[in-house]
Amino acid sequence: MMENYDVAIIGGGSAGLAALKHLSNLGKQAILLEAGKQVGTKNISGGILYSKKPKNGRTYNVEDVYGPEFLNDAPLERRITQYMLHSTSRNKVFTMNLTAAHEYQANFGYSVLLNRLNAWFARHAGESAERQGGGIVSGVHVRSLSWQGEKTLIETDELDPFEAKAVIAADGVNSEVAEMTGARAKFTPEQLYQGVKVVVKMPEEIIEQRFGIGQDEGAAHLFAGDITLNHIGGGFLYTNRDTLSVGAVYHYDSLMGRPAEPYALVNALLKNPMVAEFVKDEVAVKEEIDKNLPKEEQLRIRFAVSKLLKTRNELRDAWHSPAARKRLVEGGKYKAEEEIKARLDSVQNELASKYRTKFVTDYVELEYGAKLVPDGKRCVMKKPYFKNILFVGDAAGRGVFIGPRIEGLNVGIDDAVRAANAVARAIDRNNFAPQYMGEYYGQSIEESPYTRDMKEIDKDYLKIFLDASRDVPKDIIGQRYGMVFRLMSSGTLRGLAVGFANILGYDKLLPLIESEDTYVQVPVELAEKMGRPVQATYEPTLPTVAQRVAGLKYDDDRASHIKVLNSKSEFMKRMVTLCPTNCYSMEGGDVTLQHEACIECGTCAKETEWRHPRGEKGVVYQYG
Amino acid sequence: MANLNVAIIVKLEPDFSEGNVSYNADGTLNRAETKSILGPHSAVASNAAFYAKVRYGARIAVTTMGPPIADSALQQAQLLCDADELHLYSDRMFAGADTLATAEVLRTGISKVEGKMDIVFSGHRASDGETGQTGPQTAWKLGFTFLGNVIDYDVDVQNRTVRAKRMISLQGFYDVVEEVEAPLPVFIAIDPSYKASFNTVSQRLAFEKYRKEAKARAQDYKQYLKVFNAQQLGVDPKLVGLPGSPTIVYKVERIPKAKASRKAEVVDGASREQLAKVAAKMYEVLGGMVIK
Repeated sequence: MMENYDVAIIGGGSAGLAALKHLSNLGKQAILLEAGKQVGTKNISGGILYSKKPKNGRTYNVEDVYGPEFLNDAPLERRITQYMLHSTSRNKVFTMNLTAAHEYQANFGYSVLLNRLNAWFARHAGESAERQGGGIVSGVHVRSLSWQGEKTLIETDELDPFEAKAVIAADGVNSEVAEMTGARAKFTPEQLYQGVKVVVKMPEEIIEQRFGIGQDEGAAHLFAGDITLNHIGGGFLYTNRDTLSVGAVYHYDSLMGRPAEPYALVNALLKNPMVAEFVKDEVAVKEEIDKNLPKEEQLRIRFAVSKLLKTRNELRDAWHSPAARKRLVEGGKYKAEEEIKARLDSVQNELASKYRTKFVTDYVELEYGAKLVPDGKRCVMKKPYFKNILFVGDAAGRGVFIGPRIEGLNVGIDDAVRAANAVARAIDRNNFAPQYMGEYYGQSIEESPYTRDMKEIDKDYLKIFLDASRDVPKDIIGQRYGMVFRLMSSGTLRGLAVGFANILGYDKLLPLIESEDTYVQVPVELAEKMGRPVQATYEPTLPTVAQRVAGLKYDDDRASHIKVLNSKSEFMKRMVTLCPTNCYSMEGGDVTLQHEACIECGTCAKETEWRHPRGEKGVVYQYG
Repeated sequence: MANLNVAIIVKLEPDFSEGNVSYNADGTLNRAETKSILGPHSAVASNAAFYAKVRYGARIAVTTMGPPIADSALQQAQLLCDADELHLYSDRMFAGADTLATAEVLRTGISKVEGKMDIVFSGHRASDGETGQTGPQTAWKLGFTFLGNVIDYDVDVQNRTVRAKRMISLQGFYDVVEEVEAPLPVFIAIDPSYKASFNTVSQRLAFEKYRKEAKARAQDYKQYLKVFNAQQLGVDPKLVGLPGSPTIVYKVERIPKAKASRKAEVVDGASREQLAKVAAKMYEVLGGMVIK
């Protein structure tokens, strides 16, 4: 007897989990299949999670799905209260405060790390689902979907085949469900951004001092100008609780045109004097052990130093965290908070005097990662369903990326609720036909304010953006934009102009709005003419890509999940440069793949046979 | 009411993993400095029992003989198998027991577990004793069919039989997998290579459910714990502890280090010619196995 379920959700990211939670809230049984060993190990985002309150229509927000517990208990990093855009040119920076744009129609925006957050989502969604006889099945990779009558037969690499009446595809930007079923073509470079991120370690209170924020506040900094190395896109830096997320997101076709290594782009950002000063910290550097000492002695020193360094880092983190200080004192390990400092000093002294450890100014990277981001305004699925499958979030190419407005997680969650509603309605009527379920979902998606944002210019948002750039001299914007700006600065004319632009078609305007001019030349000129000088007090030691890969965790699979189809194509030759972890190299005239370091971003997916690794295999992100 | 009753015998053992174990100058174990944990083979046995819970909703009891701190082994086993009952057999009288005297305590203890026993699991051996006898001797005392080196099993709950795969290793021959069927009750000594596999969605869901339950239970393990002394067990003093042990540990010797039978040569990797020599040597030894 084959097992049979009402709903199978494929993919345990924030969208898939929201679908599971919402279906369970509606009293429906659903199962979720996740390829990672645990939910959250395959997910990575910039990332800020928004909750919105649009003037027209409604969005389904994360707190609507998970209830008040979300804000009380979820592992959120920091509520973003400052949103700045910096134009850079060498050692000059011109800053615009875009906090009003960040707060536009928003209940909140929190910086998040997906590994922790999705694990929390999974716990809550999983518990609700169990009550309905469903739940989360992790470590399972879906291999194929086929139809037996109206039911979908799901085959995986790990389990016996089973049937589902409805499927929610939440398997991300490189959706295999979309590809297997032919629901949409693979995304093209024109439709994607490639994002690369590093997580930087920094004690809690140092972050607060550095960014001028309180305990319950956070800062977001965006960067344009010469840090882009002449590509369309930009850099970001978000404060987390005790880490920073620093990343570079660039339009993929811009990278294809003039290939640049993804890590070079993130390095360009880290080398910028302003960013370098943001990420700097006091870092312990071990002294080389004297090779002439007896082996046992060398070993003893190595262990002693590692142990002391571990203690030092833990104590230092604790000393700079009010919660950790309190915990240590209440736990009885220290009588007063000052004792923690005294102990920290003594450990540092011991390291310095006994083992000649140096304490230098530098920065510490914890994790390197990359992902493709679907540019919603260019790739949103017109019909986000196929037979009895509903596509949500990245899988449906849905995200709102307009200049400094960067939203993906909230869009996926909104989609997920709409998909869950459509499925619940279908279960009640036992009708999973596309005319009943798919069209209903399509209609609901059409009503989503996010869909509107992917298609049209929002004149109110534009006004906020223009207000923020009021101080910018019009001659810098150039003759081409001067006219536009003059039009836009009057309320009535702006309304007319935006109306006209929207009639003309957003897609026709995009090349004008998103160009090297707007992302590179204008910011560079701004910085040169109006910027203030910034000085870095040190030069950050940037890890090589090999060191970054070595810092990642993998569950190695001997068999490659990627197959190169044409080892001589121009596209594949570009991959030698564009793969974030250098998996491709040239040998003779052929591009060869070593898949072991793959972080499953999908940059090479377009011209390869690209699968996610089997269940539990592949990269295991610790922060995400 | 469970339709399958399962027990596991486990042992608290020194943690031999790196960074945890500590030795005296004479090469014997420094027990004071070495942490104790649930033995690795006991953990495999716990996993095997958990399979019965996930597949058949079995009721599980974990039992051990040892000092009062051995309850931590029970807790760790409960975390693995979501046990419904934990037994600790602890009495000064049991000190100095060899495998036979231990088996006597375990047999008596298992008879105190709720319900009619169907399967008793043990590990393959203990990592500190290495005898591998306590399991078979307990089976013998219980009068259960003994199945050793089991790498896989399934139960026909309706017909009260078990089907098991046993790994038979004979020196000089290929390993053989033997499939046997036996009526319940049985005693299963689980092979270290055992790995449970759950192949359907419902099994995976049950796995998750019981794993969560196990986590909650193990945090509160004392609620499931029953401690028995010799009197409460009602064992014959002549059959347990030192008096009940026909064998004693007479002497422990260090195994002399074998002489190296391979020759190693250090090659300077900086020079191309030297590397070419290494490649040539490898080719000579491995022939066609060398990949260009």
